[in-house]
Amino acid sequence: MDKKVKVVPCSGIGKVYGLMAREAVLKTVLELCPEKSETVCLAYIVTGDKEVKERIEGFDCITVDGCPKMCAAKNVSIAGGIVIEEIKILDTVKEHQGKTFGSPTLLNADGEAVISEIATKIAKKINEIN
Amino acid sequence: MSVFKVGVLSCSGEECLGGTISRLATRKVLEELKVVETVTLCLPLYLAGGKEERNFAKVFPTISVDGCDKLCAKRSTEKYSGKISGFIDVSKIIGSENALNTTIVRNKDLTDEHLQMVDKVAGEIVKMIGSISSDSFSEKSFRGCSCGNE
Repeated sequence: MDKKVKVVPCSGIGKVYGLMAREAVLKTVLELCPEKSETVCLAYIVTGDKEVKERIEGFDCITVDGCPKMCAAKNVSIAGGIVIEEIKILDTVKEHQGKTFGSPTLLNADGEAVISEIATKIAKKINEIN
Repeated sequence: MSVFKVGVLSCSGEECLGGTISRLATRKVLEELKVVETVTLCLPLYLAGGKEERNFAKVFPTISVDGCDKLCAKRSTEKYSGKISGFIDVSKIIGSENALNTTIVRNKDLTDEHLQMVDKVAGEIVKMIGSISSDSFSEKSFRGCSCGNE
């Protein structure tokens, strides 16, 4: 059975925080913890297809959301994923007041630095449990 | 003066390059290639949001942009929100081999060749917007989501 932790971002398209969630997750699963984690398309989870439910249901998941609507956390829970950590981009952003992070299309250097910080936190959690 | 609007919804899939291209092409149309005013919505809000989000495709003539042939944005929009006016399968434009590339997904890894793919897909979105009857454009406003925009 695939024991990889599923790390799912909201990938919100309207503000930079959605892109930060997406890039932090991709850095985690592609660069920091490729052996222990993977992502699953949130849009696929939203479809409710049997195949994607089987990939999520009963598995440890970490969600990363860019806004208070918590789309990733809610949709992963609806699909039966066990959300062991809900990461809110805004919690980390608050620690970097006065900085800008880029646009919903492209992160700037500060944006890249903050997503690295968030990805490191996610990787730490993955390494604790796996 | 009335402002007519069209909705563009991207899958923004995280597992493969097609999702990244769908997201960037949608952003390009929203930011740069405005043939008419365009609005978007985060797709997962259909389940996480409320009635307003689920009415999106009823309020706006909507085009879905999917990175692969699973067509998640198209199917979810039709399931939760209503009939769409058109759909784009990015894998048909850039080829399945490119769309399903699981190693190059992050923006920072994109090459000029990938950015040309974004331009090509954005061009197809604009073409599709142009094919929508102006009678069906919406004059309504949309509050959008906390992470989305109008």
